[in-house]
Amino acid sequence: MTSVIAVRGLVKRFGSVVAVDDLNFEVEGGTVTGFLGPNGAGKTTTLRALLGLVMPTSGTATVFGQPYAGLRDPSRRIGAALEASGFHPGRRAIDHLRVAALAAGIPEARAAAALTEVGMEPAAQRRVGGFSLGMRQRLALAGALLGRPEVLVLDEPANGLDPEGIHWMRGFLRAFADQGGTVLISSHVLSEVAQTVDHVVIVAGGRLVASSTLAQLTDRTSGGAVRMRSEQPAPLHDALVARGMSATLVDTDSVVVTGAGAREVGRMVAQIGVPVFEMTTEGSNLEDIFLELTAAGRGTR
Amino acid sequence: MISLIRAELLKLRTTRVFLGLCGATVLFTVLGVVAGVLSAGSSGSPKLGTAASARNIFGSGGPAALFALVLGILSVTGELRHGTITQTFLVTPRRTLVVAAKLVAMLIAGTALGVLAGVVTTAVAWPWLAAKDVSVSLVSSDVGPVLAAVVVGAALFGVIGVGVGALIRNQIAAVVVALVWEFVLEAILIGVVPDVGRWLPGGAARGLTRETLSSGNLLPAWGAGLVLLAYGLAFAAAGSHLLVRRDVT
Repeated sequence: MTSVIAVRGLVKRFGSVVAVDDLNFEVEGGTVTGFLGPNGAGKTTTLRALLGLVMPTSGTATVFGQPYAGLRDPSRRIGAALEASGFHPGRRAIDHLRVAALAAGIPEARAAAALTEVGMEPAAQRRVGGFSLGMRQRLALAGALLGRPEVLVLDEPANGLDPEGIHWMRGFLRAFADQGGTVLISSHVLSEVAQTVDHVVIVAGGRLVASSTLAQLTDRTSGGAVRMRSEQPAPLHDALVARGMSATLVDTDSVVVTGAGAREVGRMVAQIGVPVFEMTTEGSNLEDIFLELTAAGRGTR
Repeated sequence: MISLIRAELLKLRTTRVFLGLCGATVLFTVLGVVAGVLSAGSSGSPKLGTAASARNIFGSGGPAALFALVLGILSVTGELRHGTITQTFLVTPRRTLVVAAKLVAMLIAGTALGVLAGVVTTAVAWPWLAAKDVSVSLVSSDVGPVLAAVVVGAALFGVIGVGVGALIRNQIAAVVVALVWEFVLEAILIGVVPDVGRWLPGGAARGLTRETLSSGNLLPAWGAGLVLLAYGLAFAAAGSHLLVRRDVT
C-alpha cells in the first residue's frame, strides 16, 4: 500500500485566522477515508489546498507524490466535488459537464455517461438554477467522475441528500472502492460515513485529533454502561458487586454495570446463573467519541 | 490550448447572457441607424450623401464594443460569483492558460458581436439609403474602414472586459464601474480636456470609428487601435496577475 494523498505540516492562515494548523495525515490507495470534524474545523481549506486552489502558508499537500498543479491530465487521475454551489444557474446540467470535458480533453460522450452514473439523465436538459441541493450534489459528483479517475475527493457530499440519497451515495462509494478506487470524503457527521469508511482522520480547530482505522476508533467505545433487566434484580446486583463490579439497581427490574464491556458482564451473569431477559449497552458510542475528540480541539480556538 | 479556447466559447454559448447581449447589440445598432438617417441634415448633422454622414450612419454598430466589454467582464466575474471558477481551475490548474484562453475567446466573441453589428447596420442602412436615392459604396473609403473599426473595437473591448472583470471581481461593481467610466467620466473628460480624453479607451474607440462630432480632437484610426490594444493587454496582464495568485475559496 502506498499513500495516494499526503498532507505534511500543512498550515493555512487567512489574515489572522489560522484555518489549518500543522496538519499531517495520509490516505492509502484503495481505501475510503472519512475526513471528519465540526464545521469550521479546516476540512474544506485542507481539501482546497490539496487541489491547488488555496496556497498553503507552509507545509505541503500532495497527490501521487506531487502538487496537484503538477499533474498531467488531473481530471483523469483525481475527481473532486467540492461544493454544491459551483454552477451557473442558467446553464443546463449536460452543458456544465460538456464544458469541463472539453477543457479536460475528455470525449464529450462522457458527459452524458457520467450523468447516467449518478442517476441524473432525466435532468440533463434542465437548467441548474432549478435544481435541489441533492441534485446539485449528484451533478457535482458526475463532474468528478468525468475523467474516470482512480481517486475521488468529496467535500460534504451527503449535505442536502435525503435518506434515500445518502443510502445511494454509500452504495456508490462502496462500489467505487471495491473496484480499487481511493476516496477521501469529508463530513461533519460521523454517522453519515461510519458505514462507508475504513479509515478516519478527525480534525478540530485546524488540528489533527485522531487518525486511525474505524475499528480502532470503535474499540474506544468500551467505556459505556451495560443495562440488564431481570426478574430477580436484587440477587443479580448483589452477586455482581460481590465479584467487584460497580453495579447499581435501577427502576424495579434493572441493573446497570459501568466500567466493563458487555462481553465481560455477560460471562459473569452466566456464572451467577440468574436469568436476564434484556441486555443493552449504553452511553459511549462512536458519536460520543467523535464529540469528545473534537471538543478538545474546539477548546483551543 | 485550442480545446481550452473552445471550452471558454462553449461557456459563453451555454448561458443566455450571450444571446441577450447579441439582442441588445442588434437593438441599439438599429436605433443608431434610424437616428442617424432621420437626423441627417438637421441641427448640425451632416447631410445625407456626404462622407461624414456615411461615417455616422455606418458607425452605428459602435455599441457592440460596449456589450463586448460587458460580456468580457461577465466571463470572469460570472465564474467568481457562481463558483464555477473552482471547476475551471480543477480541470486546468495552470491558471495562466485559463486567462489566455478567456482572452482569445473574448477576442473571438467580441469580433462576432462587431460583425453582427456591421451586418445589421448594412442590412438596414443600405437599402434605406438606396430608397432615398443616396448611393453608398460599401468599399468606399468612408464605409469600409468604419465597419472594420466597429469590429476591431468590439474585439478589443472584449479583451479589456476580461481584465476589468479580473481586477474588480465583483460582478455588479465591475459592470457599474465600467459603464459609469465610459458614459460619465470619459464623456466629461473628452469634452473638457480632449488632450487627455482621446487617449482614454472610450476616446480611442471614437477615434477608431472617426465619429464626426469632435473628430478634430481624436487620434487617427490606426493610433486609436493601438491604444485600445495596449489597454486590453495592460488590463489583462494586471487582472491575470491577480487571478493566478488568489486563493479560490
